[in-house]
Amino acid sequence: MSTDTRGGLLDGVSLTNTRLRTIALYVGLYGTAALFLIPYWYMFATSFMTRELVYSETPYLIPWEVTTYWYQYLIDNSLIGMWTVNTLILAGITTLFVIVVDAMIAYSLTRLEWPGRRVIFGVIVASFMVPGIINLVPVYIIASELGLVNSVWGVVLPSAANPLGVFMLVQFFKDIPEELEEAARLDGFSRLRVFSHIVLPLMRSPLAALGLFIFIWTWNSFVWPLLIFQRETMYTLPIGLVTLQDNLGVTEPGVIMTSAVIASVPLLLVFLVMQKQLVQAVEMQGTTK
Amino acid sequence: MAGSTQSNEESGRIDLTRSATREWIAGTTFAIPYLVTALLFLFGPLAIALYMSVHDWNALAPAQSQFVGLENYRTLVGDPDFWTALRNTVYFVVLTVPPIIVGSLLLALGVNRDVRGKWLLRTIFFSPYVLTVAVVGLLWTEIFNASGLVAYYIGGGNWLTSYDLAMPAIAIATVWWQLAFNFIILLAARQNVSDRLYEAAKLDGASTWRMMRDITIPQMRNPLVFVVIVTFVGSFQVFGQPYIMTDGGPSSSTTTVVLYLYETAFTSRQFGYAAAVGYVLFMILIAISATNYYFLAGDRR
Repeated sequence: MSTDTRGGLLDGVSLTNTRLRTIALYVGLYGTAALFLIPYWYMFATSFMTRELVYSETPYLIPWEVTTYWYQYLIDNSLIGMWTVNTLILAGITTLFVIVVDAMIAYSLTRLEWPGRRVIFGVIVASFMVPGIINLVPVYIIASELGLVNSVWGVVLPSAANPLGVFMLVQFFKDIPEELEEAARLDGFSRLRVFSHIVLPLMRSPLAALGLFIFIWTWNSFVWPLLIFQRETMYTLPIGLVTLQDNLGVTEPGVIMTSAVIASVPLLLVFLVMQKQLVQAVEMQGTTK
Repeated sequence: MAGSTQSNEESGRIDLTRSATREWIAGTTFAIPYLVTALLFLFGPLAIALYMSVHDWNALAPAQSQFVGLENYRTLVGDPDFWTALRNTVYFVVLTVPPIIVGSLLLALGVNRDVRGKWLLRTIFFSPYVLTVAVVGLLWTEIFNASGLVAYYIGGGNWLTSYDLAMPAIAIATVWWQLAFNFIILLAARQNVSDRLYEAAKLDGASTWRMMRDITIPQMRNPLVFVVIVTFVGSFQVFGQPYIMTDGGPSSSTTTVVLYLYETAFTSRQFGYAAAVGYVLFMILIAISATNYYFLAGDRR
């Protein structure tokens, strides 16, 4: 498209006009930001409120009387500590597994020449279009045939079959300068050593971004853990949280909000510290198409 | 494309046999772990789902399943519950996709401007991205229920048990949660647009609106198409929010296609029928993505 930019109507935009616009911009942005924060505030505030405040007629936004009662209650009456550990283990294993497996195939697809690799890459790209959800039933059947129900691998393997990571890494692996690899090969490095001593260290930054993304994704995943983990001692935080309400028999806003805080604070902290990497991971997805 | 590789290798076969063969072996070895995983948990299931969808699947004894041809698909066409679920899903898509796209675009363009507290704003708008659907669902359930903030300050009683308000409530929670991803993509895309284009336009006296229409939007076209398709596909597969917030109620008004699929499979154990629902959803998603692509990006090149 040609960018015909002539014929502007507002040649001399007046000062007040500019100022009004700036004010509107700030009001719009910070107003929206405030709206975005209300749910967080409500969640944290409620988790520290006494029972009387939680059950009062007016929903309070400020915990006038602070208590850690709900936290104590959850620790004493639920398996939330165990669920946190389970979630950590699941997310850790999945992240490691996905990084290794995806880096290996990305290396193979970009740096090695073998028959059929282009076809295979084409198929992987196409599989991007398959919504995971349509495989809900058959994957569950395969997992139960392989004895993976109530096993960590029942969640790890379906997550690792996602082509997203392969796709993200291929973009980076193909830009590795060939000379580096050739020099190492001349020095008698095996492919495995080239991969582990040259390619992986070089690709630290995209691998870290992918790893962070997979970690958060798995920590938060809902459908697979819901299907695969059928014992209360195996639940991850998202599943435990949802069953909490049913187990208590009644709705306890204090318990619900406190459990939501416990489930989200670890990731919110990770997010604050590693926001740059996470932004990079999201941007990597934006550039894939 | 595959042909060119092949001929390349053939020509150098005689003297390269060993190293080329080795490269083949290395190449396939490095590819195998992912390929096996994908075969077992992505491509295999896709084929099995198709197979199941043409059978009256016996969950307890799969071998005794009966081939029924297109019967499941025929049932589906005449199944009022499926149509209700599809209608609800379309309603959800209409309620969520435009606000997510327009909202994330406006916020991205705003944050990209010369404002104070850029980092703070970006952090706030991006943060819901790291929340699990369980937290989002429970948190907003508390906000929308009878004793929550919305009922008190805005009214409407308990939105989640209201036939008319339950879906909008789910949609609001979803917009809050899902805006983040698009926001980051569009912010990066806007930052990639060269400043020189705007400088030139300003010299020509172009208005802000014209610069938006003639520079910003065309320059951000590809990321915008990506975001539109991803948002459509994501919204069409909504599951967790209604599962947690309303369980599909009141009277099925928030039962979406995936929730219906889930219930058909794991509550009623109609695996064959659920597989058929999955395939129909798949076809719908492909059609939507293709339509979006055709209208938004198709006229170029």
